[in-house]
Amino acid sequence: MKKLIASGAITVNSPQKSSDRKWTFMEKLFLGLTLPQYIGQALRNPFNWIIAIIFAVGIPIILGRFIFGLSWVTHSSNDYPWGLFLAFGLFGMVPLSSSGFLLGTACEVFGRHDLEPIERLGLLNGLLGYFFAVVFLLIDLGQPWRLPFPMVVSFGPAAVLFLVAWHVSTYLSVQIAEVSVSFFEWIGFPIGVRAIRKITLGLTVSGIILSTLHQGALGALFTYAPGKVHPLWYSSSFQWIHFFVSSIPGGLCMVITVSTIASKTMSWRFDQRFKDSLDRVTVSLAKGASMGLATYLTIKLMSIAHDNKWAYLTTGYGQWYLVEIMIGVIIPMTLFAYAIHHKKLPIIRFSALLVVLGIFLNRLNTALITFNWKLSEREIPHWREVAICVTVYTIYIVVYRFILYRLPIFYQWKTQEQYALAYAAKPETTILKDTEPALVFASKTEAKAFRNAETITS
Amino acid sequence: MQTKGIWLAGVLVVLFLAAVPDTSRGITVPDTVILNTQSKLYEPFTFNHAKHIQLTKECSNCHHHTTGTLVQDPNCVRCHRNSSETQEVSCKGCHQTDSFSATAMHEKDPKTYHKDKPSLKAAMHRNCLGCHENMKGPMGCQDCHQRTKEGDAFYYSGAYAPKNKPSKGEHNGH
Amino acid sequence: MKRRDFLKGCLIGGAAASLGAPSKSWAVGSFEGYPDAMGVLVDTTRCIGCRSCEAACNKEQKLPEPDVPFDDTSVFEEKRRTTEKAYTVVNRYETNDGQKPPYRKMQCNHCNEPGCLTSCFVNAYTKTKEGAVIYNGNVCVGCKTCMVACPFNIPAYSYSSAFDPLIKKCIFCYHTRLKFGKPPACVEICPQEALTFGLRSDLIKMGHERIRETPDRYIDHIYGEKEMGGTSWLYLSRVPDDQIGLDTTLGNEPVISNVKDFLGMVPMVLTIWPALFSGIHLLATRNKDHGDEHHNHSEQEDGKK
Ligand code: SF4
Ligand code: SF4
Ligand code: SF4
Repeated sequence: MKKLIASGAITVNSPQKSSDRKWTFMEKLFLGLTLPQYIGQALRNPFNWIIAIIFAVGIPIILGRFIFGLSWVTHSSNDYPWGLFLAFGLFGMVPLSSSGFLLGTACEVFGRHDLEPIERLGLLNGLLGYFFAVVFLLIDLGQPWRLPFPMVVSFGPAAVLFLVAWHVSTYLSVQIAEVSVSFFEWIGFPIGVRAIRKITLGLTVSGIILSTLHQGALGALFTYAPGKVHPLWYSSSFQWIHFFVSSIPGGLCMVITVSTIASKTMSWRFDQRFKDSLDRVTVSLAKGASMGLATYLTIKLMSIAHDNKWAYLTTGYGQWYLVEIMIGVIIPMTLFAYAIHHKKLPIIRFSALLVVLGIFLNRLNTALITFNWKLSEREIPHWREVAICVTVYTIYIVVYRFILYRLPIFYQWKTQEQYALAYAAKPETTILKDTEPALVFASKTEAKAFRNAETITS
Repeated sequence: MQTKGIWLAGVLVVLFLAAVPDTSRGITVPDTVILNTQSKLYEPFTFNHAKHIQLTKECSNCHHHTTGTLVQDPNCVRCHRNSSETQEVSCKGCHQTDSFSATAMHEKDPKTYHKDKPSLKAAMHRNCLGCHENMKGPMGCQDCHQRTKEGDAFYYSGAYAPKNKPSKGEHNGH
Repeated sequence: MKRRDFLKGCLIGGAAASLGAPSKSWAVGSFEGYPDAMGVLVDTTRCIGCRSCEAACNKEQKLPEPDVPFDDTSVFEEKRRTTEKAYTVVNRYETNDGQKPPYRKMQCNHCNEPGCLTSCFVNAYTKTKEGAVIYNGNVCVGCKTCMVACPFNIPAYSYSSAFDPLIKKCIFCYHTRLKFGKPPACVEICPQEALTFGLRSDLIKMGHERIRETPDRYIDHIYGEKEMGGTSWLYLSRVPDDQIGLDTTLGNEPVISNVKDFLGMVPMVLTIWPALFSGIHLLATRNKDHGDEHHNHSEQEDGKK
């Protein structure tokens, strides 16, 4: 993609292709490239080949799960009813998706406008994380077609999962509404944009409520199994607080990680505002995350002290617990403290990754690895189960990338007037990019010239 | 009084144990008794009463408090120290075949210790097996009563044994 | 204009949130079980491991063919649990007191306040007044939370079915027997009457009476009288309960007591959060823009374009 831009292809960032023509939908879809160009760049990317291989193996297995049933892909264990799908997919992905409500709250409620450049990434990360958590859930449910039952057919309102179902589904719609602003801009539907803007604050506040509750509720789900979750990962009064609080650094660090990967792989999609603010925003997010980690560590220790579980720390499980806390909390906290002070961004980004892994590890530990610690047999997931997880996660990445390539997440969408303005005022406002030599590229038509001009006017 | 109620019930109920003639009680001691006449899963069989009399000598080992011996069980003694010998000798006379049916449960007197009286089937199994264990008697089900065809089907055994071997690792729930 | 939008937004948000607010109250920890609840007293000192109860259950519940015959004692080599093909299993336990090893039948204990029922988000479980905990497969979504929530690891799942997988567990023979006042199939067949059927309240008295009459035969405890809020199926044992595979660390609180902390917090969040955060929003934006909300709002919009 970089090469193409260097060679004069332009990116879609406003409704106008040129001053007299709008982008058609297909052109938007192909990133403003011609079909051969688009296919060409896709084939050149080695990552796409890896994806293709994963899909070739994984998609038939996913289909197989629905044809042959769960016993074909899992060990169908009655002692470990929640396997990798839920431990990894649901319990792991949801806390990393708290970014939607965190950044929404920071920007819309606390008025932290300095975080706005990354707000949309936060929202999108939230939406996709939840969406794919639900996909994992659908794969794991015995009768996925009955998923709406708790809403319409039969209610079990005293069940924690009932709250989770309601909150996740309402929250998904809230997030769809929040992210749809970008989508409406992109397809050119200003009425929708304005309608959503009007209810932004309401959406954000309901987002806070729903998130607090269901992040906590996922933790509270484990209070159903006090004897099965290992005491070090369990606390009847603090379980939901653990899950909720750990989701805060989890979500923030996930945004840092995603923006890091994006800046390595799709920096062409960033506009100047995003590029300028990325480092500053990353530091702010890291500050938030370290505060979250500190709180998390405190309540973790508190719950151990509260139930006097120190003795468990000397067992094998205890050492594993310490490993998890080291990777996910203590090491990143230390690194954050150092790196924020010295503005060492690579270290911040690295420790954000550690936090993300730490959260995954924590949820896997709670739901799978140390679950049923009293039983002698440990659940080792079936290879097909692992394959499905990898595949779904890959689909998640592909969808993520697809959207980031297109919707105004890393860049700001220009309205028609702004486009005209920018074009008229070109000489003054032009900010020359390193792809500037593209300008001199021979152009056949006037439209082409416009497009070149557009490339550098961002 | 209590005894009479149970005796009546014993008569009303469809019987499991067939052979001891009520009228000749105390006069003739049967040498053999046909047991297990009502079961569908196991065949009736002939119980060698004479042999067991030889082996145990003491009637009250089986026929507690019915055959002239005084009540021995310390729990029973608490009330029945001076109770006279009861009329009923055969097991089925007191132990019901359907002790958990709604009527039977209704008739159980909640105030007495007899509430926990075992059913006929349990009384016999516990009595026989308990002693067989101590005396090293036969313990297997079919050592006493042969299983019927229906019984084989019920237990998925013999001719009805499962053919397909279980696939390893599945359905065992571990 | 702005203020109206703001209120509208809050209303919509609030409505969305309150949809998720369950209105049912959570009665916790006080339920003693239905007065007419039936139960079964499992006297493990009487059980001889004949597995007849397993066979009877298989037939009564129309379960599939077992892997091995029901008179095969090789199954005692390992510890089995309930599965989709067996609602009840008998296990043998080794003890070190030199006596013959005890056997224990296991099946759903039909808790007074069942964890499975509490955790089910479509209310597929019902505790009937007769004491049975039954399950309605027509609404089950297959989330398997009940399996996680059952402290006794009882519910199994028919993983092998692709299109209609369901929870499989003992239902106290409710539909065929208990409802009509009849004892369950397993109780009826037991040759030793290791299983005694009766009113739960009577069984508890009976159990204590057995312990009192023959103290050498039993430890002085009825498992299930109090455990996890009490269960309809109760166990007597010669050896400490943990030696026959009963979890003695569960405590007497029913599952719902663990969850009530969280459930109690939910209405609080639902009522306090909207006010709190809307308030913070007003403060945060007012400070910055000297009370000119409208100005602030449009600035925000511009920032986003
Ligand atoms: S034993 Fe388990 S499945 Fe049975 S009622 Fe109790 S919680 Fe439910
Ligand atoms: S009560 Fe019925 S369903 Fe439950 S184990 Fe006994 S026979 Fe099976
Ligand atoms: S039928 Fe009775 S004696 Fe036989 S295994 Fe079952 S509980 Fe034990």
